[in-house]
Amino acid sequence: MSRSTRFDTKKVNSELVNLTYGTLVAQMVKDLDNPDDVSKQLDRIGYNIGIRLIEDFLSKTGTARCLDLKDTADKIQTAFRLYLGVQPNVVNWSPAGDEFSFILDSNPLTELVELPENLKQLKYSNVICGAIRGALEMVQLDVQSWIVQDQLKGDQNTEIRVKFIRRLEDAMPAGED
Amino acid sequence: MADDILFDLLHSEIINYTLRNVDDNEKDKNSDKKDEDLSNLEYIGFSTGYRIIERLTREMPRFKDELDTLKFICTDFWSAIYKKQIDNLRTNHQGVYVLQDNAFRFLNRLSNGKQYLEVAPRYVAFTCGIIRGSLANLNVHCLVTADIQSLPSCKFHIQVQRV
Amino acid sequence: MAVCAAIVGKDNSPKFFCCINPDEELTFQYKVLSSLDIIEEKLNPASKSASEMRELYLGQLYSLETCKIYGYVTNTKIKFIIVVDSTNMALRDNEIRSMFRKIHSEYADMVSNPFYIPGEPITSKSFDSSIKNIITGTV
Repeated sequence: MSRSTRFDTKKVNSELVNLTYGTLVAQMVKDLDNPDDVSKQLDRIGYNIGIRLIEDFLSKTGTARCLDLKDTADKIQTAFRLYLGVQPNVVNWSPAGDEFSFILDSNPLTELVELPENLKQLKYSNVICGAIRGALEMVQLDVQSWIVQDQLKGDQNTEIRVKFIRRLEDAMPAGED
Repeated sequence: MADDILFDLLHSEIINYTLRNVDDNEKDKNSDKKDEDLSNLEYIGFSTGYRIIERLTREMPRFKDELDTLKFICTDFWSAIYKKQIDNLRTNHQGVYVLQDNAFRFLNRLSNGKQYLEVAPRYVAFTCGIIRGSLANLNVHCLVTADIQSLPSCKFHIQVQRV
Repeated sequence: MAVCAAIVGKDNSPKFFCCINPDEELTFQYKVLSSLDIIEEKLNPASKSASEMRELYLGQLYSLETCKIYGYVTNTKIKFIIVVDSTNMALRDNEIRSMFRKIHSEYADMVSNPFYIPGEPITSKSFDSSIKNIITGTV
């Protein structure tokens, strides 16, 4: 009597996240006339997710304080695997060692997305950049992050650049003297 | 599972985004509506449900009838998305179904108290949309509302629209 | 390989059509549309077969001198139709069934594109080429 189908929950989970995110983007495109505004909002949403996600990441992985930016890059790489199920390569370090890129062979967020002609400038995956920025801010690192290559726009890979700006002072927890 | 938290956080952000947008619009009109406008939030759920059901029913045998479809929503579908089955399904066999979840995923983190009860509709609107969208694509056209008496329990009322 | 594949919406209006030989497009369109009645008949809950027909693949709908027409209907009432040349003996039921499953999979992926509005005609070029690959057996 009962249906035997049991879904692969991990797969459904990521499909659900990707579809929900896609619908949100489509809704934003409808709400805001300018694709650049949408890109900005997506970054902001990513930031809000990042500042909360970091707690989960730290508790799940028991990660200690990062030694240097190289170490930080490795940990974000782990986060990609944990949350998006992909393992990006960390490459293209700047000579000064303050900038690097994540290269994704496939981006689960955009796998089933086709951008309409009038939205070619939309930075669909900006949520990832925002999340990296938000998460690192919570561990006292001020960074910039942006998309360099995008498979949605026909590039071979997706490349996300991260640039270290400065170390933030340890903020006192609010309400404590 | 790692993705769980991602969906929870995304869900909160969608709530924030849709409410912020409504706020902005209402400031322009100087209106002081009491009930929050959750229609955009519901619609995002609808559109997500409409699409995901296409994927989830790909390997399923054909549904026998409306009740069979609703049972699928309460069991396999609900566990895939909300990590547990619906606790109770009632129907009057005339197109009204009541789905009761005693520990609804998006209400679990709200404390029980009157002030939280007031914001609770925000946490169920997306899901009302998911149900309506999934059923609409399965050709069961309906209205879905949620009824929250005590957290984290929630009743989803489905009223099938006969044409 | 099959010679033609079509997708017909919930409302029985054509959403997608792909023909290996473009000259035959019109003839096949006509054949596909006339097969919809047979699908409705098969799915009618009153008919005896419907209660047993829980499989999405409906099998052969009908055959003509020149071609055979097969059908498949998703749980969401989207109809897929494949036309095979009558002289083609290589394609057995199982191959047709697996072709339909692949088309269904492509369709579900296409619907997952947030910028596709369900119910609209399908214009995606990558979808078109995927379906061509499926019916010509290149995947």
